[in-house]
Amino acid sequence: MNNLTTTRESRAGRTAAMGLMLLLAVYFLLPVYFLVVAATKPQGDLAATNGLVFSHFDLFENLHVLFTRSDGVFGRWALNTVVYAVLGAATGTLISALCGYALAKFRFRGREFLFSVILGGVLVPTTALALPLFLLFSATGLVNTYLAVFLPSIVSPFGVYLARIFAGASVPQELIESARLDGAGEFRTFFSVAFRLMTPALVTIFLFQFVAIWNNFFLPMVMLQKESLFPITLGLYEWNGQTARAPLLQESVITGSLVSILPVIVVFILLQRFWRTGLAAGSLK
Amino acid sequence: MSSTVTRTRVAVAAATAGIVVLAGCSSSGSSDNASAASCEPTKGKVTLQYWNTVPGMDKVVALWNKRHPDVQVETKNISNDQYGTLGNALKAGKAPDLAQVGYDELPNLRTQSAFVDASACTAAGAAKSKFVPWTWSQTSFGGTGVFAIPQDTGPMALYVRSDLFKKYGVAVPTTWDEYATAAEKLHKADPNLDMTFFDPNNAEWFNGLLWQNDARMYGYSGDKWQVTVDSAQSRQVAGYWQKLISEKVVRTDLAHGSTQMYAAYQKDRLATYVGAAWGYSMFRDNLPEQAGKWSIVPMPTWGANGSSGDWGGSTVAFMKGGRHLYESVEFNTWLNTDPDALAMENKLGGLYPAATAGLELPALKQGVPYYADEKIFDVFADASRKIDTSFSWGPTQKTVNLALQDAMAKAAAGDGSLTDALATAQSAALKSMKDQAIPATAGK
Amino acid sequence: MTDLATRTAGVAATPVRRRRIDGGGPRAGTVAAFVTPFFLPFLLFYLVPVGYALWQSFRVVRRSGGQYGTSYTAFGGFEQYGEVLRNTEFWSSIGRIGLFGIVQVPVMLFVALIIALLLDTPLLRAKGFFRIVAFMPYAVPGVIAAIMWSYLYSPQLSPVVDLLNGVGLHPDFLGPGAVLWSAANVSTWLWTGYNMLIMFSALQSIPQELYEAAKIDGASDWTTAWRIKVPIIAPSIVLTTVFSIIGTLQLYAEPAVLRQISSNISSTFTPNMLAYTVASGNNYQQAAAISVVIAVITFVLSFGFMRLTSRKAGL
Repeated sequence: MNNLTTTRESRAGRTAAMGLMLLLAVYFLLPVYFLVVAATKPQGDLAATNGLVFSHFDLFENLHVLFTRSDGVFGRWALNTVVYAVLGAATGTLISALCGYALAKFRFRGREFLFSVILGGVLVPTTALALPLFLLFSATGLVNTYLAVFLPSIVSPFGVYLARIFAGASVPQELIESARLDGAGEFRTFFSVAFRLMTPALVTIFLFQFVAIWNNFFLPMVMLQKESLFPITLGLYEWNGQTARAPLLQESVITGSLVSILPVIVVFILLQRFWRTGLAAGSLK
Repeated sequence: MSSTVTRTRVAVAAATAGIVVLAGCSSSGSSDNASAASCEPTKGKVTLQYWNTVPGMDKVVALWNKRHPDVQVETKNISNDQYGTLGNALKAGKAPDLAQVGYDELPNLRTQSAFVDASACTAAGAAKSKFVPWTWSQTSFGGTGVFAIPQDTGPMALYVRSDLFKKYGVAVPTTWDEYATAAEKLHKADPNLDMTFFDPNNAEWFNGLLWQNDARMYGYSGDKWQVTVDSAQSRQVAGYWQKLISEKVVRTDLAHGSTQMYAAYQKDRLATYVGAAWGYSMFRDNLPEQAGKWSIVPMPTWGANGSSGDWGGSTVAFMKGGRHLYESVEFNTWLNTDPDALAMENKLGGLYPAATAGLELPALKQGVPYYADEKIFDVFADASRKIDTSFSWGPTQKTVNLALQDAMAKAAAGDGSLTDALATAQSAALKSMKDQAIPATAGK
Repeated sequence: MTDLATRTAGVAATPVRRRRIDGGGPRAGTVAAFVTPFFLPFLLFYLVPVGYALWQSFRVVRRSGGQYGTSYTAFGGFEQYGEVLRNTEFWSSIGRIGLFGIVQVPVMLFVALIIALLLDTPLLRAKGFFRIVAFMPYAVPGVIAAIMWSYLYSPQLSPVVDLLNGVGLHPDFLGPGAVLWSAANVSTWLWTGYNMLIMFSALQSIPQELYEAAKIDGASDWTTAWRIKVPIIAPSIVLTTVFSIIGTLQLYAEPAVLRQISSNISSTFTPNMLAYTVASGNNYQQAAAISVVIAVITFVLSFGFMRLTSRKAGL
């Protein structure tokens, strides 16, 4: 009897849960599905046909237009994005890891002060920094160069915060001590012992920072005037603002959006494991 | 320990102060070069930077570059955030030699000391006679120098879906009163059909309508700017459109130039477009399937006043910091008076020339296939002659435009009226001028 | 700049002589070598701009002579702050974003929590799929997300609007009342999965034994979820709330894109948009004052929330 009600209850619960999740899945997938459909259409069909139904299949033509428009500038933007986001996040992860490790494992004066200053940095609205940074960079001639976007991007106070927690949790003090007794220098200890233990965490920090740079279009918008230095987001935003007076640009914005988010989505899905382990360690402390 | 902390802090403070001072030097030292810059040709090869928002301008420049190997010009399209980009570049001391600046932004940039006076170059002053008079009056700030060369203008006219007017037996309006009546008739005939759209986020367009009614927004006397944004003439225009909006015969949910706007035209939801000369190519390029359905007629008029208005149009300004003034003048005058250049700009960018020679281009004398082979440029040329030449812009026009837009959007959403929006814009003008320490007072 | 860099590094590295500070740690020089690669860029690209913004916020524009004149800046005390605090547009943008935050943040976190809890129960099949689907929007930058949604909002292009029209509903997603919530929806779409994953990861690290006792007592899945799981992952929920507050106060890209198609998003819609608008009116000093005020509000709210929740947890 008791068993029966539980089964019935859980069957109802299961149906409700599945129903709710399916509804939410539709919500999360809808815009992306729309983008996929729209990217396969000729521009004229965007307004003329239902947005959720495929019409004339023009994807390859659209891709061709996208990659050849303005002397293939889109390819350049993709390359720039890799430089800013991948290289920037890698550099940022390394310096965050060094600093976070030091904060977790070394005892030195001013450590807590330093950490609070950095933690305070997490709360500084980065968009508020862009304009003063722009004025400062103008004075030093850095505006309109790769460095103008790259240098501010490598700084991630949140990365240091995570690195400190991860280092504290995953690198046992005894291992460090024994490496020291073996006569290894601090850097060798870090790279040969700590770095390996922290790897999953570092992937998480890398991913976080990658997303932050990939998302940040305010900084490049303020800093860059040369189109050839743009990341994809800024390029698409600029195109989106020009669609009124340039024929067929709308379709390139759509196709370009799809082309740029697909690889990132795939990489994210492949690296899901790292998000979870990283986030768990980061949030429970 | 404490000494370490203190010393680090001192270092931080010193570093901060050092950079601040460094930046302070470059940003606060803006001054108005009232005296004309010198004008010497540069020896050897020269590269000029020219920023603009005109589609196809790179091809015009390519033509120049082919003909002038020693004066090469590089272009950059800044159409997304034209004045933001320009303002930032000025702030950074990285402005180009030449930049496209709308007539309405000239005074604003002048107060930021953005321009250099090219009147030392004889070719610059000599160009005066080649342009429509009101344009030169604005680029020379009433004949006090040569700060820019006029490029194009936007004399306004009414774009009409003649097939729809014919279908519903409604006459094409010639006055604003008739326009309102026609709007009602069309809407009654087809509830899905509206006369036009009123984009509250398009102050430039609305300013064109004010200009048509001889509303003068700014003057200068007694060492002060006289602000008359909110005047009897402007209130007449605002009241008129407020009525159309309240009666729901014009739409307020479409942004000018957006895909949504084209979609509404494509689906036969809108019957007219109150536009400027440069708009002819927008319809041709974005709504090819409506070829033959459009005609262009003179703007509806305010009673006996037959004036037209101007919406947009631009100049090519000589920016401060440019090092090759002589070559800049050479290129700038070629760009805006040479028949080959003007023809290309008209064809590729839809520009309607400010140069009088430009109005004689063969392309502007012929019928246009998209508009049922009508000679539409005759309409614009006629409008161009009927524009109030004494109209002038304010020194904080951009801020005023934004305030006007925000208030017009509220009005369109039922919060206040367009007349209230004018009052808001008036006080925004006074406040923004106070913020910039520009002496101003409410005029009469 | 390089000179400056070396000098700062030099100062930081000065106490090398004192071999071991504080007992156990490595030499100060080593510490500096670990910390400086991060701290120097942090100083130059975070702290210095903050200082510069502060400095600018105390300056005002002055002008000499003539119709156009020549501008220069001078010390103006708290004049810019006075202007900001008297500016009704500033307060409406704060009010708007406050309303946005009070509604959007709890809704988003609640949905995230529900998904996380469902993924942690045996009720659901195809969990991997659902987790990926919910998380996927996080890979999409705000600008692109806003472009995608702007198509779904637009009356002329949207299949969603078509569908709703078909059943007799005529929503105006870009209308004066709705547009704030349309922007909120873009944020919710973007960030729900991310917050869900933080909570889900926390749930996964709860030892299973904790549930056993509850199961023996015959507690249902929901009772277990609300009574045991949610309190345990409370720190994660606090963390996601703080990040959401910071994100909300910084809102810029999404409304800026929607502004391209809706006049109901004004140029001063969010505090950051106001700051940018003021800066583009060539009033960098007042824009700096606005940025400083936004940063202060962010600090107060984030710290306030953390203090409040930690005190509660302590009881």
